Amino acid sequence: MQQNRNVERRTVLKAAGASLAVAGLGATATACGGDSGTGDGTVTIRYAWWGAEDRAERINKTVELFHKKYPKIKVKTDFQPYTDFWKKFNTQASGGNPPDVFQNAIGFLRKYDAKNVLLDLGAQVEAGNLSMDGFRAGLEKFGEIDGKLLGVPVGSNSMALVVDTPVYTKAGVKPEQGWTWDDYDAAMKKIRDKTGRAGDTGPYNVMYLYDLYLRQNGKAFFTEDGLGFAEEDLKAWWTKAEKAVEEGIYADVKKVTQIKPKSAVSGEIAAGEFTWDNFTIRYSSEGKSEYGLAPIPTTDGKRTGQYLGSLMLSASKRTQHPKEVAQFIDFMVHEPEVAKIMGYDRGVPATQAQYDAFAPTDPVNKAIAAYEESLVSSGVLEPITPHPNGADICEAAFLRIGEEIGLGKRSVDDAVKQFFTESKTALGS
Amino acid sequence: MGTAVTHAPAMEDLTKDSKPRHRPAKPPRPAALKRRGRRESLAGYLFMSPWIAGFLLLTAGPMVASLYFAFTDYNLFDSPKWIGLDNFSEMFADERWRHSVRVTLWYVVVGTPLKLLAALGVALLLAQKRRGQAFYRAAFYAPSLIGASVSIAIVWKAIFSDDAIVDRTQKTFGIDVGGWTGDPDLIIYSLVALTVWQFGAPMVIFLAGLKQVPRELYEAAEVDGAGPWRRFWNITLPMISPVLFFNVLLETIHSFQIFSSAYIVGGGAGGNACGPADGSMVYTCYLYVQGFENSRMGLASAMAWLLLVAVALVTAVLFWSQRRWVHYEEGA
Repeated sequence: MQQNRNVERRTVLKAAGASLAVAGLGATATACGGDSGTGDGTVTIRYAWWGAEDRAERINKTVELFHKKYPKIKVKTDFQPYTDFWKKFNTQASGGNPPDVFQNAIGFLRKYDAKNVLLDLGAQVEAGNLSMDGFRAGLEKFGEIDGKLLGVPVGSNSMALVVDTPVYTKAGVKPEQGWTWDDYDAAMKKIRDKTGRAGDTGPYNVMYLYDLYLRQNGKAFFTEDGLGFAEEDLKAWWTKAEKAVEEGIYADVKKVTQIKPKSAVSGEIAAGEFTWDNFTIRYSSEGKSEYGLAPIPTTDGKRTGQYLGSLMLSASKRTQHPKEVAQFIDFMVHEPEVAKIMGYDRGVPATQAQYDAFAPTDPVNKAIAAYEESLVSSGVLEPITPHPNGADICEAAFLRIGEEIGLGKRSVDDAVKQFFTESKTALGS
Repeated sequence: MGTAVTHAPAMEDLTKDSKPRHRPAKPPRPAALKRRGRRESLAGYLFMSPWIAGFLLLTAGPMVASLYFAFTDYNLFDSPKWIGLDNFSEMFADERWRHSVRVTLWYVVVGTPLKLLAALGVALLLAQKRRGQAFYRAAFYAPSLIGASVSIAIVWKAIFSDDAIVDRTQKTFGIDVGGWTGDPDLIIYSLVALTVWQFGAPMVIFLAGLKQVPRELYEAAEVDGAGPWRRFWNITLPMISPVLFFNVLLETIHSFQIFSSAYIVGGGAGGNACGPADGSMVYTCYLYVQGFENSRMGLASAMAWLLLVAVALVTAVLFWSQRRWVHYEEGA
């Protein structure tokens, strides 16, 4: 008996040891997966972006195209919705395992540069792996921070007033380039009175719109290292908004929050809202109506304060394959076929070659092209507002606290105080 | 959780009968015994090693690390910078933090008693012998199994939003509040409703407790002319007070830890972090926002430790209070 039991135990122990060893091997194998060089010179790079399913389908098609041209570079893709994207990215990047190449935007360049995450692509441009020629409207400079090339624009977009066209027509409102804020206020009232729908979702907590308003008045939302406006400015802006919400000129915030992630415009709660001009593509797939683009109201009848914004591709400083990443970015911004697949999904293509390659045929994309062309021809475009480290947290606070005013949970004075407190913490000033 | 109840009497058995039950018929010589003992304990540790490794690497290690981070400024990227108690003083000065504490306390103080009342009430009904009893027990218990899941939170959000079933039902009664999830004051009640709906787990424990109450006590009381209310108050309640204590303790701790339902019903991914105007911004939600949205891991760690200490204090108070109201049968 005694003997038997010992044998049994030994066998069990051996089995346990073996399974531990296997588990260990498994761990090693996984670890190897991260390191992507293999014998035949094939290299794997990871590419991550934010967006929805339709963007993912398009991007996967462009990646297939890339694989055909560069069979030795394998691209693994990954995507999340906007807010989740940055949470995952932060976790990966701090763990030393960020994607090699990823979607980025101007608001994040300084932030991640300060965290030492972004690769300066300048060296790759010099090495001839990435061309920065052929960009439209000075976009090649958009990803440059302190002389470092931290992002390459894939498209440009601009703030616009996205409207439910039939509702505007029914109310008899016809916005024109150069219309003023007074015109806009009158139009909102008219829409509410004639159609019973709120004139706007609520412009008061859209950071990018308030930035334009400030720029029309010689200020801006941010300076290089802080906020570019005073508490009195914001007090005036939000006091006006509070009244408009009470009067039903701006939409009921309760309804707006509940219809998310759908927009209040496509959800037929409001007749329009200020957002990026490529959003009409999304609204057209979400809602039943027709959606158009109207110009930004002005203070003096001329200046809209607008600038081109842009989505970009950035590379990680820790990438093992800077050359391949540069080749990938180069392909994605210059290859005409890519533009035909992507359309205006990430804005109007950044390079002239891609811009020419995609000629929109449907009214939604045509309207976006026309809108951006009108911005160029009317000469309203100006240099972009800087986005200091912490700008994204300020934007989120502006959105949330503005919403609290709309919900009647905070007085304007209190809201302004809270926003400045949170922003100062976020901007470290 | 079911085992915890059956433990109470079982544990008593053990302590009373603490003599080892099993001894080898012929003890080997002491040296060999020692050697064998050592070998066996080695084997024991080896078998435990996956668990021990998991505990050290995944629980104890991170906990120690987070205790350190609690006193640092740590943004995940730069190495942590020691700042002493600054995280704590920032917390107390932060209006949003105080708001999250209020929301959490409200949730605990309102949700836990309601849930326990529902659990006890239904348990009393189900304790009586009737047909289909097993079915009812299973049916009432089911929400506890799935209630904490993400999918239920999503369904809950759909039920309580604008123009959904709750809103429409209210409207037929002339109450128009326009959906609970969009209302900063009402959203917390949809979460309370979600936790009350999961009364099945404490109910099962109550049921087990009710079964332990000796029948003869009721019979004696009935002979003495005690009505149902009197019987409940003077017999049932004292007799199940240990089980009640256990449930209060468990559910209170549980309520303090609410996260996923608040996060998802409040908007979650792609929306407001936790409800309109922070309506469902419970403590753990704010911890998450600070840690993962604002990349302030030092502050988030400090918040986590403070929560741990607070829950420990509440637990201690509950344990202290049980002397006054929990009745343990002696010499049974």
